[in-house]
Amino acid sequence: MQPRLDASPRAVPSVTPRILDAVWTPLALTVVAAALAVGTWAAWRAARDQPVILRQLIAAGVVEALLVVQLLVGIGLALAGTTAPDGPTFWGYLVTTLFILPVAAAWAFAERSRWSSVVLLVAALTVAFLQYRILQVWAGA
Amino acid sequence: MSPTSTRTASGPGRLLVAVYAVLALAATARSTVQVLRDLDEAPLAYLLSAGAAAVYVVATVALAKGWRSVAWVAVSVEMVGVVVVGALSTVAPELFPEATVWSGFGSGYGYVPLVLPVLGLVWLRRTAPLDTVPEG
Repeated sequence: MQPRLDASPRAVPSVTPRILDAVWTPLALTVVAAALAVGTWAAWRAARDQPVILRQLIAAGVVEALLVVQLLVGIGLALAGTTAPDGPTFWGYLVTTLFILPVAAAWAFAERSRWSSVVLLVAALTVAFLQYRILQVWAGA
Repeated sequence: MSPTSTRTASGPGRLLVAVYAVLALAATARSTVQVLRDLDEAPLAYLLSAGAAAVYVVATVALAKGWRSVAWVAVSVEMVGVVVVGALSTVAPELFPEATVWSGFGSGYGYVPLVLPVLGLVWLRRTAPLDTVPEG
């Protein structure tokens, strides 16, 4: 269940918030899929005793870009009057999730063993889990 | 023995620090929201959460930097904290009307708060320089 757009008489429904509203859940699911893809790649390399390589960091960068887009969409929706019931938690998650991949990528890349791949795997799973929480908080859970 | 064997942040230690960092981040973010918004609802639980979050931050930094004695203290505090608070929250739930990171032995965080200090202590012992390995 998604929060509805502000239906007060004074609100002039414009098409932009409706597009953003329709985009919200698919965007979150896209982030989950992308994060799980990065995680699967990292797990594969960890299983083969290989460290993180630059191409994985680029893939993590794509996930990070999606997270930035998500924050901007969230801000756009809030400005249009639609946001999660529990504001502090919602914004806390949206901002916190931005830090995970950059910090983890830097931390992982400095280690030239399989453990760097495990670190990236954990970071990707964390980002995916946070999306699950973001969707829950968005729905008011 | 190579010099890197005494470092707490390399090899598996890199993973340990990463998981500690995630837990520190989660506990800090959550307790910040709780303390700022609802402190009067459950002051003991929320201040405990804030204290626990601070210990996780200290443990993360200490393990990452190789400050062994600080790491020993922080990880030991976590071990005691999760066991004591876990037990108290089970036998006297009225003490903790709101969940903390250590309630139910860390069940709200997938028992990571219970497993992590054990791994931390094992890792600190395994990476200890030979002459400083404690007895037992």
